[in-house]
Amino acid sequence: MRISPFVLLILGCFSSGLLTATAASPPKPSTNQYSNVVSALKTLRETEQAPSIEARRIALETANAFTNEGFRVRDGEWSPWISKNAPAFLQVTLFAGNRYWFVAATSVPGTKLRVSVYSAAGKPIKGEQWQDPQGKDCSRAAAGVAPEQSGEYIVGVEMLDAPGTSPVGSCLVYAYQ
Amino acid sequence: MLSMMAAQGLGIGVLQASTEALSSLQKEGAVFTDSMSIPSPGEVFAALNRSNRPNWATLVATATAPTTTDRQQMALAVGVLAANGYIAVEAQDGQQVKNIGKEINSLAKSLGVSQSLLGRGNSLMEFADHNEWDSLADELEATENEIKNTMVDQKDHDLVILTSVAAWLRGIEVASGVVLADEGLKGASALRQSELASHLAAQIHSLPGHTSEQPLVVAVGKTMDSIASLLNEQNIPAEKERINLQKILEDTGVLVGMILSSSDPTKAPGAANTTPSVTHSGKTP
Repeated sequence: MRISPFVLLILGCFSSGLLTATAASPPKPSTNQYSNVVSALKTLRETEQAPSIEARRIALETANAFTNEGFRVRDGEWSPWISKNAPAFLQVTLFAGNRYWFVAATSVPGTKLRVSVYSAAGKPIKGEQWQDPQGKDCSRAAAGVAPEQSGEYIVGVEMLDAPGTSPVGSCLVYAYQ
Repeated sequence: MLSMMAAQGLGIGVLQASTEALSSLQKEGAVFTDSMSIPSPGEVFAALNRSNRPNWATLVATATAPTTTDRQQMALAVGVLAANGYIAVEAQDGQQVKNIGKEINSLAKSLGVSQSLLGRGNSLMEFADHNEWDSLADELEATENEIKNTMVDQKDHDLVILTSVAAWLRGIEVASGVVLADEGLKGASALRQSELASHLAAQIHSLPGHTSEQPLVVAVGKTMDSIASLLNEQNIPAEKERINLQKILEDTGVLVGMILSSSDPTKAPGAANTTPSVTHSGKTP
C-alpha cells in the first residue's frame, strides 16, 4: 500500500503533535484510542519511509563505486518523493576543475530514473549519463559532470517510467573529485 | 574520462540526457538543503588544489575552542573548527586533526549534542595514527553532520545554520588568502559563490530575534551581506577583484577571530561596529 507524501505529512504532523485540535474540532477520542491511532499511524509512516532509507543505502553503495577512482562521497543526502511528470530539483554549488557524480536510487525495481544537471539559468549541462533500471530490488541512475564554471547549478531527479502511479521515495547523493 | 569510470565502476547503461531547459517554476522550486546545497570546505579545497597547489602546512591553525557559555558562539565555533580540520587533513597533519577533533567533541558536550559522537573520537584518532587522510576527511564531515542532526533533533535549527555558515566563512577566508597569494589571482573561480553567499546571508537574517540579535550573529550577518555583495561583482578589472578579495579576507579573518575568542568577541580588536579591518594572525598567508 502506498500513500501520497501529502497524506504522510499530515499523518506525521498529527502523530508528532504538530496538528492539534481547534475549538471547532470534533470530540477527542479517549487517551487509549488516541495512542492506538497514533501507534498505528507511526507504524504506517515508518513502513512508508522504509523505501527512502533503502534508497539511501543503494545510492550510497552506488556512489561508493567512484571512491576507487579518487572521488569522495559527500556525507549528506536528499530524499525527494518523485512521480512521473513530477521531477524534483535541488540547488547545488559546483566548482570548475572538480568532477562530480550525482547518483539517485529508489528501492522500487522497474522505475526508470534520470538525473540531470542544469545551469542556474536552467539549461542542461553536458555530461555523462548512467542508469540501471533493472537492478535487483532497486533502480539507479547517475549523472557525471565536470563544470567549466564555478557557481550555482540545479540537479534534477525525474521518473521517466514506473510500474505504478504512486509517488516513490528516492535518494540523491553525490561524489566529487 | 567520466564515462570510462562509469564503465569500470558501475557497468555502462547509456541514457539520453535531458535536453529541455527548466521552466521558471521548476527553477524557483529547486530545494536548498544544508547537507547538499552548501559545499563542504573539502570541495572548495579540492578546486584550489587543482589551480593553486597551496602549501597547506602554512595554513593550519591551532585548534582552540572558545571558553564560552554562549550557544550561538559555540555553534559557530564548531563550523570554524570543522573547516580547520579539513585544512589539517590537506596538510596531512594528524596531530592537529586529533586536537581539532577533541575541541569539537568538547564543544558538542557543552552544547549537549555529543551523544551521537561517542565512537567518532576514536575513529578520528585511529585514522590520524594511520595517515588515512580520505577517511579522516569523511569522518570530520560525518562528525559535523552528527552534531547538526542532534541539533535538529533538539529543535536547535538556528544553531545548524550558524555552524554551516561558519564553516563556509572559514573556507572562504582560506580560499581568498590562497588566491590573493597568486599574482594572477589564479583560482579565483573557486570563490564564485555569490548566490550561495546571498542565500546564507538571508538565512542568518531570518533567524528568530533572540538569535539574530546576538551581537556575534549580527556581525556574521553584516559580514555575509558584505561578502555576497563583493562576490556579486563579476567581470571586473583584476585590480578591483584584488581589492574585493582583500576585503573578504580581512573581514572573514576578523570574524573567525571573534568566533574563536574567549573574551567578549564583539569587543575584540577589529570588531568595532562589526566592520572588521584586520586579519587575525597566523591563519592566512
